[in-house]
Amino acid sequence: MSLSFLEGLQFRRMDSPIHRLDPRAKFVIALSILGYAMLFTEVIPLIVGFAILLPLVFAAKVFRMWVRTIKGVLVLAILIFAINWLVTPDLAMAVGLALRFVLLVAAFSLFFLTTSPDDLGLALEQSGVPYELTFAFTTAIRFVPVLCREAQTIVDAQRSRGLELERGGLLKRIRNYLPILVPLVVGAIRRSVDLAEAMESRAWGVSEKRTSLYRLKMRGRDYLAILLSAAFFLLAMYVKLLSNQPLLPWLL
Amino acid sequence: MPIIEAKNLFFRYAAAEKYAIRNVSLSIRRGEFVLLTGPSGCGKTTLCRCFNGLIPHFHRGVFEGEVWVCGYSVAETPPNKLSKHVGLVFQNPENQLFCLSVEKDVAFGLENMGLPEAEIRRRVEWALRVTGIEELRHRAPHELSGGQQQKAAIASVLAMEPEVVVLDEPTSFLDPRSALELFDLLKRINEDLGVTIVLVEHRLDLCASIAQRVLAMVDGELALDGSPAEVLCGEAIRLFGVGVPKSIRLYQLLLEAGVELEHPPLSAEELADLVRQKICQ
Repeated sequence: MSLSFLEGLQFRRMDSPIHRLDPRAKFVIALSILGYAMLFTEVIPLIVGFAILLPLVFAAKVFRMWVRTIKGVLVLAILIFAINWLVTPDLAMAVGLALRFVLLVAAFSLFFLTTSPDDLGLALEQSGVPYELTFAFTTAIRFVPVLCREAQTIVDAQRSRGLELERGGLLKRIRNYLPILVPLVVGAIRRSVDLAEAMESRAWGVSEKRTSLYRLKMRGRDYLAILLSAAFFLLAMYVKLLSNQPLLPWLL
Repeated sequence: MPIIEAKNLFFRYAAAEKYAIRNVSLSIRRGEFVLLTGPSGCGKTTLCRCFNGLIPHFHRGVFEGEVWVCGYSVAETPPNKLSKHVGLVFQNPENQLFCLSVEKDVAFGLENMGLPEAEIRRRVEWALRVTGIEELRHRAPHELSGGQQQKAAIASVLAMEPEVVVLDEPTSFLDPRSALELFDLLKRINEDLGVTIVLVEHRLDLCASIAQRVLAMVDGELALDGSPAEVLCGEAIRLFGVGVPKSIRLYQLLLEAGVELEHPPLSAEELADLVRQKICQ
């Protein structure tokens, strides 16, 4: 079992103009591209979307990871293309819908590759999401590598006892994973009890008003990024209206 | 007034038939460094949980007797309130770090206490400096070695400026060198900061020399209590299946062979010194 597909989602600490942006500003950038992708199904404007995204990816120095994420969803994109082509014989439309999906993933991949989960949690917290939820979110991310390693250990252990994972038909193969899944889940539950103990011992919930070591602060460049994103989206909408077509054709 | 005091303490976990702790009475003075040892399953972990309120508030069961820690009755004070006074460091370092950076983890308890940002910053810096992990501040827990993780866990407990730190087998996931480093750190915390330390440990070879007092538990009861030399040289401790330090064992064998060293050595270095002294005579 290989877990390399998760790599594309994993944040690496780096420094770039994009990394330094406030997570909220970066989220607005991703949203504006999402909005943009929703406006068009034609191939050319979607390629323009990629052309706009690409310099940002290079500025963030995450090109390789970004490409890896896109490769990861390529199968899905091809599926979208195939289904649409079968349903409507419009080839350009089918290509456009697949491209739109890839553009969406590409935009949010840039967001996740350049935003540390800690900052994301902080942004959520400062936007009024209850701390319990943001804590659950960041802790889940913190334990992804731990659980991956544990899964690998269990796979190795079960294999050395003669478990064959890549054998039999589809159903049999799924069943093969049961001896992996059960210890993994049991281990995770046991771990969660340990975690709860440790949290209790570190004053969890003792004060009504929780404070924070860091606070996110929007700076000039963040406002600028938000402004540019909004302008870009409004411009796209204007172009769309000029072209005299329904505003939201085909929601995927 | 003792900083930890237990009187006729009994505890049985809700799901268990047997009492995990039976009739334990002890008192620990402020500033003491106490080593708690005993075979697996003797109730050491259960006793640790009684010191910070995880028992009876988190682990339910039958709780009888009294425990007072820093003037608080444990039966009436939940662990999150007690955590300002007692820090608990667990066996598995991985499961006590929740955040994505060391710095954030050290700040976790302080944020929960609602301290102002400047005060959190001050205490985090201090705790990182004391434990010597300043350069690891931005690392994620999974990027650290076991020893570094355990130091981060100690830093996050120290930052809360507790009067007592209880450590439940903190070195069982560490190699001997990291374990030694950790014991050295604990010694400094005890001597320089005056923090009372209760250390649960099997590796007596490495830590007997830093403790001022040794408690041994067997089968839920407190069996031995005395200075390290007293407890470790006795016949009883060997019968419990606790690994007596090799330096003590050698001291006893020499004694049987008719060579009497000045006092029982608690570490290899001390043994070497005593033997050298003897030869020079």
